[in-house]
Amino acid sequence: MSQLSPIIPYHRVNTLTGTRTARTLEDPKDIVRQIKKAKRPLFVLGPIATKVSLGDKLLIEYCIDIAKAGNIPICATATTKAKLLEYGVKPDSVYDTVEIINALKDPEWKGVKGEGNHDLVIFLGIRSDLANQGLSTLKHFAPHLSTLTLCKYYHPHADYSLPNIFKDEKWKAILDGVIENLKSEQQ
Amino acid sequence: MELKELSKRLEEVYRKIKAELNWEPVGPTPMPELSDLRNWDMRLLKTYKPFYAPFCDMCCICTFGKCDLTEHRRGACGIDIATQQARLVLLACLIGCSCHTGHAAHILDYLIEKYGPDKKIDLGEGVAVEAPHIRTVLGMKPETLGDLKVAIEYIYKELTHLLSSVHTGQEGSYLDYESKALHAGMLDHVGMEVAELAQISGFNYPTSVAETPLVDLGWNAFDKTKPIILFIGHNPATSTAVVDYLRESGLYDKVEFGGICCTALETARYSDRAKVVGPLSRQLFFVRSGIADVIMTDEQCIRTDITQEAAKVGSALIATLEKAMYGLEDATNMDTDEIVRKMVDEKKQFVILNPRKAAEVAVKVAMEIAPKRRKEWITEEEAKELAKKCSLCGLCEQVCPNLFNIGKGISEVAKGNFDTIRDIFNLCIGCGKCEEECPRNVPIFKIMQQAASKEVWKIRAGRGPIMDTEIRNVGAPITLGTIPGVIALVGCSSYPDHRDLAEVVEEFAKRKYIVVLSGCAGMVAGMWKDADGKTIYEKYPGNFDAGCVVNVGSCVANSHITGAAIKIANIFAALPLRANYEVMADYVLNRVGAVGVAWGPYSQKAAAIATGCNRLGIPVVVGPIASKYRRLYLSRKEEDDWRVMDARKKQIVDTGEPSPEHLIYVCETKEKLMVTLAKLCIRKNDTPQGRAIKLNHYISLYKKYMGGGLPEDLHLYVRRDADIPLVYKKEVKAYLDSIGWKPKEPVGLPTWIGTYPTKVPVDAVIR
Repeated sequence: MSQLSPIIPYHRVNTLTGTRTARTLEDPKDIVRQIKKAKRPLFVLGPIATKVSLGDKLLIEYCIDIAKAGNIPICATATTKAKLLEYGVKPDSVYDTVEIINALKDPEWKGVKGEGNHDLVIFLGIRSDLANQGLSTLKHFAPHLSTLTLCKYYHPHADYSLPNIFKDEKWKAILDGVIENLKSEQQ
Repeated sequence: MELKELSKRLEEVYRKIKAELNWEPVGPTPMPELSDLRNWDMRLLKTYKPFYAPFCDMCCICTFGKCDLTEHRRGACGIDIATQQARLVLLACLIGCSCHTGHAAHILDYLIEKYGPDKKIDLGEGVAVEAPHIRTVLGMKPETLGDLKVAIEYIYKELTHLLSSVHTGQEGSYLDYESKALHAGMLDHVGMEVAELAQISGFNYPTSVAETPLVDLGWNAFDKTKPIILFIGHNPATSTAVVDYLRESGLYDKVEFGGICCTALETARYSDRAKVVGPLSRQLFFVRSGIADVIMTDEQCIRTDITQEAAKVGSALIATLEKAMYGLEDATNMDTDEIVRKMVDEKKQFVILNPRKAAEVAVKVAMEIAPKRRKEWITEEEAKELAKKCSLCGLCEQVCPNLFNIGKGISEVAKGNFDTIRDIFNLCIGCGKCEEECPRNVPIFKIMQQAASKEVWKIRAGRGPIMDTEIRNVGAPITLGTIPGVIALVGCSSYPDHRDLAEVVEEFAKRKYIVVLSGCAGMVAGMWKDADGKTIYEKYPGNFDAGCVVNVGSCVANSHITGAAIKIANIFAALPLRANYEVMADYVLNRVGAVGVAWGPYSQKAAAIATGCNRLGIPVVVGPIASKYRRLYLSRKEEDDWRVMDARKKQIVDTGEPSPEHLIYVCETKEKLMVTLAKLCIRKNDTPQGRAIKLNHYISLYKKYMGGGLPEDLHLYVRRDADIPLVYKKEVKAYLDSIGWKPKEPVGLPTWIGTYPTKVPVDAVIR
């Protein structure tokens, strides 16, 4: 669950501007611990992952590695399906961002594998304004699941988020660390 | 007692709408009040459920709070987070509707004062159904400007009741707030129609003609050797007075005039010498260039710091409407020469509420100060020097709504490379936060002058209503599906990339869809030329038919687009429209393959327009930034209620076909938009030939923009073999076989009438 805002004013009724905000995670081991706690995680990939390079790879390659290492089904949004197929990965489902969020907020939804709704949803590669709004929907209307963002900047509406990261090397190290830790958990 | 009161109310309504004039029988809902169309709304909301994305966790409206609404907490008044979102959406729609109706009321009063209340509404020989919204909603056929006052008074009354419902401790259901928002949206289209009918009749705008003049578009369109007057806003009362004054005083070709936002479009309908600088996103950029000698503001979409911005660059400023007076002295009753002297010598800014006087002052001031104005943009060398101050601190990126790395672009300029900042300029929504935040005061917008295109494009002046003859020609192919759809690109300019719009227009016009535009979208789509140097307005015909590109005009001209949908039901299908909203909306939803696109909406007006489209059964796709509007209407295609009444057989049929799939929907990318538009034009009424054409476009657009085989939901839209487009027959058949697809029964006349509680009989949809 997400934490309370770090500073809560004493007179909440007069000065409060929101009580729930994402818990920051930046140690790959902590991130992997959350992923491994989930029974039915889902990885939602946005189109930015097909355009941004990190190190010598496209961001989507890190996503594919995370999904494979964690055995996490993928939901491809917008134009990400075609790119995944180029890498030989068939997404488990194809929805646009608002559609998958709309489905996720229904506790009775069967999930992308028909095994029940997901309990952890990982996001990466969606425009920050749209992602922020979508995460707000899940925060308010999907108490049955947790959200985790691996984007470069902090997403307050998520349950778990990376902090703002200003150097790509640091972001890369975290994602590589997640992949490595998931792999070692697999073994 | 109830019956007695009802009949008294109806008596009053019948008197107002002149029910005795027997042009059509009066339908079941003349001048509908808040609850009269509630059952229709609830039917819409049953399939297209509200989807909320709270922009804020709190409610801060009353002194009970602030109230935290997270984790199912309720406010001190009892409100929950969903209802609070719906309440705010209603508020946005009311703001939008008030703006359009306020514009309409002002222009109507202005023209009635000028010509009297008996001036005839005249839309030319091609338009007999002059007021599809007023006829459908009020049940009245307006003939004079005075008649339009009835529509304004009706909207005022409804707005008051709607606004009162957002008070603390009123409505407690998000669904009822949505019904009220849909009501406000419907009223918005009536208000827009009043504005258009008044303007066209009063200013003699082009009407009943397809090929309107091509006018210059772009921030470099002005002849900078002449005095320049810039209009900002959405009301043509003063801008047309400026044109009149210039004509009368022999200065018509000696002074340049044009605008930003919808007043620009309105003025271009009045004079083809008017320049259209561009959309809202270019406002601050252009104002800071200092090229305008005089800025005249009217209403809506004006930067609220316009007085300071104008003063900084030495542009004179006149506020001309009471809705935006900026704390300035009201000089309406001051001597004209004295105002001019104070503006020129003392740099004073004034409010002048008399359009004629404001026009005279503006022209005289522009003539006096223009010779002292700098007449060129900054040079490349100057831009490079200014850019050297950038320290790449990154603060500009942090405050940019789109998170653009502006500092990188500026630092590249310092090295002589303008490519990066040019790209950013094309994505920029023009808010100015970057420059405000810059600790070294780098004049980012000024530097962008060098990067921005100096191109001058062409835009076709707004043509107003769609002619009845055009509706007769396209009615059958649209409802059968052989014209694959009507795509309407409307609204503001906060796009993910402003080049997207021209690409969408080009793609769908080439495919023989009907493409219509209005407002800022109409401008931006024109800011692109093909290899032959032609804009979309020069490439495609302006008549409402397959493969056209029609600019209807400003924001308020959106009423012609939705009005055309009503006219298809009324003129082509011969269904009576008078006070018959449910029948019109049901027809549009089930049989007219039209979809709206607001790719860069920012305003409350856009919220009202879209919600009005939705009540009328027209789906709308919005760009990603519009997720901040907090609410969508989404279905879940394989789980929602897709039953319709087959009006021929009088049987309810479960079609399982999600057409149209959503009522208001966010697309994240241009590519997804292309595919979604084709899909949202599918209707249950399509003939096999029409469906095959629509699916052909859906599949080919999917392959072109999305890649990766066939659309995942294709099987839901194939009813029988005959629906499968020939060119993809083999591939589609193989896919359908692989998933065990079974053919479905066709529906004769699909309608929702008869599937929910309504006074309207099923026979009302058959002619």
